[in-house]
Amino acid sequence: MHKTLKFERDDQDETHVLLRVTGDVTIHSSTRLREQLKPLFTTKMQEVRVGLNHVDFMDSSGIATLVEGLQWSRLTGGRFVLSGLSDNVKDVFSLAKLDTVFDIEGGDTAA
Amino acid sequence: MGKPCIQDVSFHGHESSHVGKLCLQLNCNSDCIHVLRSMVAVMTARAGMDELRSNRVAIAVDELFANIAAHAYGGKAGRVELETSICNASEHGRALLFDFRDFASVGWAGNLKEIADHIPDIENLTPGGLGLRLICKVSDHCEHEALADGNHWRLIFNINDGEKHAQNA
Repeated sequence: MHKTLKFERDDQDETHVLLRVTGDVTIHSSTRLREQLKPLFTTKMQEVRVGLNHVDFMDSSGIATLVEGLQWSRLTGGRFVLSGLSDNVKDVFSLAKLDTVFDIEGGDTAA
Repeated sequence: MGKPCIQDVSFHGHESSHVGKLCLQLNCNSDCIHVLRSMVAVMTARAGMDELRSNRVAIAVDELFANIAAHAYGGKAGRVELETSICNASEHGRALLFDFRDFASVGWAGNLKEIADHIPDIENLTPGGLGLRLICKVSDHCEHEALADGNHWRLIFNINDGEKHAQNA
């Protein structure tokens, strides 16, 4: 049931990066997501994509970390995309009324 | 309502496990959220809730536990007692209850209704403050009582209204 958080960084070219996330994002693991996410936002990076295909559970600490990502992307001027959200994770974004704030794509990230 | 998220196991000749309550005493400064998730999975299955509703209950329980750890105990170790049961004749009808008891010296003094009604400022999003809002959003009732030696929180989830929650999302 409880899944340890794992990451896989895939630099698609010099300006596009995909971070594949696997596991549960909770108060005990969201700091690790933040550590992985923050360095991706540089002025040369045009798109940071987070693949959440294998995340079945995310609490408010995970959403808060992604809100930080959105803020970092606004500072660096790049695009911040979330993809492959499970029904449970989509539901949490919807409950928080943040589903229209993020750039969310349903497509598979080949994770 | 969809299929329950897990199937309970019963043994011939033994009392069904669909009765009774689960109690847990734990230290909020440990990585024991997965234990809470197990309790939620068992109780929501007993209540016949589908996966989406079970996930919402898990979110509320997870958030409340995290809130107690972060704010009542300030990130330090502290005792939390959790009791969960299905009540067949509550004032809200048949309901799944979660009672949290902490023994922190910090009493919570927020306004649950204001939190529930809060609409996020899209232009000036801040990372914090989401937890209690989610709790209020997914539970049918959230109650807080400040005690002389801590806090008592009760989360109530009505049973047999899964469709109502799905439509309100």
